[in-house]
Amino acid sequence: MEVPVMENILGSNDKQALQNKEIFDRNGIFVLNLIGSPGSGKTSLLEKTIVSLKNSLKMAVIEGDLFTNKDADRIAGCNVPVIQINTSGGCHLDAMMIKNVIGKLNLAQLDLIIIENVGNLVCPAEFNIGEDNKAVVLSITEGDDKPLKYPLIFKEAATAVLNKIDILSFTNFDMKAARHDITCLNPAVNIIETSCRTDIGIDKWTEWLKNAVQIKQKRINER
Amino acid sequence: MCATCGCSGHGSGTQIQFFVTGYDGDNAKIIEEKLLGLAGVLHVHIHAHDGETTINYDPAKTRLSEITAVFEQKGLQAAI
Repeated sequence: MEVPVMENILGSNDKQALQNKEIFDRNGIFVLNLIGSPGSGKTSLLEKTIVSLKNSLKMAVIEGDLFTNKDADRIAGCNVPVIQINTSGGCHLDAMMIKNVIGKLNLAQLDLIIIENVGNLVCPAEFNIGEDNKAVVLSITEGDDKPLKYPLIFKEAATAVLNKIDILSFTNFDMKAARHDITCLNPAVNIIETSCRTDIGIDKWTEWLKNAVQIKQKRINER
Repeated sequence: MCATCGCSGHGSGTQIQFFVTGYDGDNAKIIEEKLLGLAGVLHVHIHAHDGETTINYDPAKTRLSEITAVFEQKGLQAAI
C-alpha cells in the first residue's frame, strides 16, 4: 500500500518558513500574514494601514493572488514597495514562494512586511510562510457562523478583524455570537471591529500592528 | 480541508468519539466551549441525550490527555 506523503510536504514548508523567519528576524522586520475570504476587505484594510503607518514605519507588501496584479496595482498607488505573487490557480501562498521574492526587497530598510494571502479561509491557515503573526479578516457580510465553520484560521490568528461594520445594521450578523465563538476558539485573540469606508476601528488595528512591530524590534535589539 | 482541494495540507486531523455520562443541558455547552479553547481542537459535536461526543483535533497541538482532563474536571466520565 502506498502511504501519502502529505506530512513530508508540510515538513519541508515548515523548514523553509523557519528559514524565512530567520531572515526577517536578522533584519528586524515584523511580518504579518493577512488572511481572509475573497471580498472580506483585506486589500482595503491594507490601503488604510499603509496610509496610517507609512510615515512611522518602513513598509513593504507582498500580494498573493491566483491571477492578475489588481491588488498590487492598488497597493502601488499607496507608494510602498509591493511584490505580486501569482499562484496560477494555487489556493494559498507557501514558504518557498515567499523565499523566492524576498530578495527583491531591501530588507535592511524595512520594519514591516504585510503579506496578503490568497483569498481563502481554509488553506492559507495551514501553511506557515515565515510570519510573526497571522491576522484574519472576516467581513460581517460573510455571516457570524464562519468562525466555527472555519476554525483553524481563527485558532491561528493573533488578531481577528471584523470588517465592514458600517453596514452591520443591514445584515443579520450577530456580533455577540461571533465574538463569543472566536474567543471560544482562541481565548488569546485580539478582536477589532473595523470599517474601511468610515475608518471605524482603523486606529485600533494600526495601533496593534505598530505595537507588534515595536515589541519584535525591542526583543531583537535585546539579543 | 486542504487535502480535499489538492494542495496537500494537514486535512482535518484526527477525529475521536467519546461516550460521556453525566451531561445535562448546561454542562454540555460548557464542555464544548472548554474543548474548543484547547489549541488543537477544531470541532466538537455533542449529543447530550446519549453522550456521543465527536471531536476533531490536531494531536500535534493537543494531547488526548488534555481532552480527557476537560471531562474529568467537570466530573464527567468519558469512554472511547
